[in-house]
Amino acid sequence: MSIKYQTFDTISRSEFSSALQTSSLNLDYGACRVKVMAGGIRFEESFKVVYRAFRFTEDEPFSDFHVRLHPGSLARRLIRPTVHFAIDGVHPFDPFPLSDALPMYEWGINWSFAQRFNQYVLLHAGTLALGDRAVIMAATPGSGKSTLSAALMLRGFRLLSDEFGVLDPETGNLLPMLKPVALKNRSIDVIRSFSDDAWLGPTFKATRKGDVAHLAPDEASVSAVRQPAKPALVIFPKYDLGAELSLKPQAPEQAFARLAFNSFNYALLGPISFAAVADVAASCPAYELRYSRLEDAVRCLQDLLFEPSLTNA
Amino acid sequence: MHKNWQRSLAARHLLPLLRDCRHALSMSLADWDDTIRLARQARLLGLIAGRLKETQDLWERIPERVRGHLQSSINFSAHRLQMVRMELRALDKALPPTIAVVLLKGAAYIAQNQGFARGRMPNDVDLLVRRTDLDEAEAALAAAGWAAETTSDYDQRYYREWSHELPPMRFPGHALEVDLHHTITPVTSRVRANDVLLFSSLQAIPDSRYFTLHPFDQIIHAAIHLFQDSELAGHLRDLVDLDGMIRRVIHAESDWTDLQQRADQHGAGRYLCYTLRYCGTWLGTPMPQLITLQPPSTFVQKFMDMILTRGTLPRLPDTPPSLSDRFALQAGVIRYHWLRMPLKLLAGHLIHKTMALIRR
Repeated sequence: MSIKYQTFDTISRSEFSSALQTSSLNLDYGACRVKVMAGGIRFEESFKVVYRAFRFTEDEPFSDFHVRLHPGSLARRLIRPTVHFAIDGVHPFDPFPLSDALPMYEWGINWSFAQRFNQYVLLHAGTLALGDRAVIMAATPGSGKSTLSAALMLRGFRLLSDEFGVLDPETGNLLPMLKPVALKNRSIDVIRSFSDDAWLGPTFKATRKGDVAHLAPDEASVSAVRQPAKPALVIFPKYDLGAELSLKPQAPEQAFARLAFNSFNYALLGPISFAAVADVAASCPAYELRYSRLEDAVRCLQDLLFEPSLTNA
Repeated sequence: MHKNWQRSLAARHLLPLLRDCRHALSMSLADWDDTIRLARQARLLGLIAGRLKETQDLWERIPERVRGHLQSSINFSAHRLQMVRMELRALDKALPPTIAVVLLKGAAYIAQNQGFARGRMPNDVDLLVRRTDLDEAEAALAAAGWAAETTSDYDQRYYREWSHELPPMRFPGHALEVDLHHTITPVTSRVRANDVLLFSSLQAIPDSRYFTLHPFDQIIHAAIHLFQDSELAGHLRDLVDLDGMIRRVIHAESDWTDLQQRADQHGAGRYLCYTLRYCGTWLGTPMPQLITLQPPSTFVQKFMDMILTRGTLPRLPDTPPSLSDRFALQAGVIRYHWLRMPLKLLAGHLIHKTMALIRR
C-alpha cells in the first residue's frame, strides 16, 4: 500500500496559489531541491501541467536554492508587465514578459544549478535509464538532445534529465536532475504527434530561444527522482534530416574528449572531473548516433542498453 | 558594546561557526538552511567548508546535502586559487625583474599560504610597486597584452590623479583582473599610509620574486581598507581576514605594543581600535591585556556600531532591509566618500557621476 500524497496535478488551483503567496512551495528535482516564492506571477496553470507528477510539499527544512519570481516595479507593471528571476537577491537575467514566467523560471533553475552545484561534474547531456543502467547523451545545443530524451521517456525509459548529466565523482553515479523537458520550435509538434501520453504545457512563442514548450516528466521518472543510476552507455546524438540510422563507435579517448568538451564545469573541477569523466569513458561503450526517425533511435538505444556485451567490440 | 548585533541572524550560527567550527555539531538541517545562505552572501562559505572538512570527525557528521554545498565551494575556490597562481606566473614573466612587486590582500594571503586564505574566491590580483616604478610596470604589462577595461577619459583621470591604483587591467581571456597600486591609500584620503615605512620593511615570499608587506602593515592595510576604503556593507570577510592575521602574528603583549605603534605611524590608530572592537566581539579574536587603544568619542562609537552591525553582518535577501537598516547603509556610503575625498573634489565627482547616469 502506498501513502497517498498530493501532486501538482491533484491540488486545487487555489491551494497552489496560496502556497505561492506564502512562500512555501517546494520542488524536488533529485539532485537539488528548490523553494520558490512567486506571488503575483500567475503561472499556476502552466506549472500544474508540466509539474503534474511532482509531489507537492509545503514543509522542507533545507532547500538548495531559494528563488523568487516577481513582477518588476509598479511603473513597469503598468507599462509593460514583466517577470524577474532572483536567487538569493541576485538577478542573473534581464526580465522577461510576464506571460513567459514559466520559461524564465526553468532557465533560472538551470542557471542556478550550473553555477552552484560544483560538487558534481555537470555534463551537458540528456540522461535516461532502463533499470539502473543509464545512457549519457552528450551534445552541443541544437543537436536534438531534448527531443530524443523526450521520445525515450515516452517509450518507457526513466528520465533523469534532458540537460544535465550529473556525475557524482565520489560514487561514479548519475543523479537525476529531473525537470520538464524544454522542447524548441519544430520538436514541439514532433513530440506531440509521437505519443498520446505527452503532457505538454503551453507553447511560448518567440522567446529568446525561439518557441518553447515543456513536456511533463512521467510518474515513473518522478517517483524515482531520488534514485541514482550507473553510467552504462555514452551516445553523441545528431539529428540528420533524411539520414538512415548509423552508429559510429567512439574510442575511449574520443569519448573522453567529447564528454569533457560538453560539460558546464569540466575545467573548473580540474583533476576531479578528469578522473570522473575518464572512468565513464573507460567503462562505457560510446557511439556517435545519426538518425532522422525517432522510433529508430529509440529502438537502437533500447538494444544497446539491454545488450551491453555486443557493444564492447 | 551595545547588544543589537546579538539579534542579527548571523549571530545565531554564522558567527559561532566562525569562532569555532565544532558549533556545526549542534546545528539542525533547518539551521543550515539560513546559514549556508548567509555564509555565501558574506563570501565565507569556502572558508567555513575548508575548516569543517579538515577537522577530524566533523565532516562526516554534517548532513549530506549541506556537505554538497560545502564541497561545491571548496571545489570552486580551488579553481580560483589556481587562477591566482597562474596569473601570478604570467605577471612574473611580464614584469621586469628589477621592479620589486608586492602582493596585497588576497593574492598575498594565498601566496603566503595563510590558513584563512583557503576557501577564497578572488576576482582580482592586487599588486603594489613603488611610485617611481609605476610607469615602467604599466608599460611592461601593456606590452605583454594586459589592457585597461575602462576607456572613459574621466575614469582614467580619476584613477591616476586621485586614487591609489591604476584602472583595473586584464589579459584577454584571463579570469582575473589586475589592480596595480603605487600606495595602499588613495592620495586624497584622510589617512595616508607612510610609504617610506611600507617599502622599507617588505618581506620576500620564499621561492618567489614577489614580496608582501610587513605582517603588521598587512593588518593595518586591511584595517584601513575596511574602515576607510569601503562602504562597510558586507565586509564580514575582511574582519575574518584580520582575525586570521592577528592570530598568526601576535603572540606576546609586546607584539600588541609594536602593532599599535606601527598603526600610529601610519595614522591608522583609530582603525586598529575599530578592528579589535569588532573582531573581538564577533569572532573572539584575542585582545591585548595591557595597552589601551584610544577609543573614539561615544557618539562616533555608537554611529560605527550602528553601521557595522546593520551593514556588515550578512542578512537574508528575501526580506527588504528596514528603514533604519537602509539609513545605516546610506550612512556608511556617505562616511566612505567623506573619508576618501576632500569635499570640493567629492562634490565634483558626484556631479559628474550623476550627469553620466542621466545621460545614459
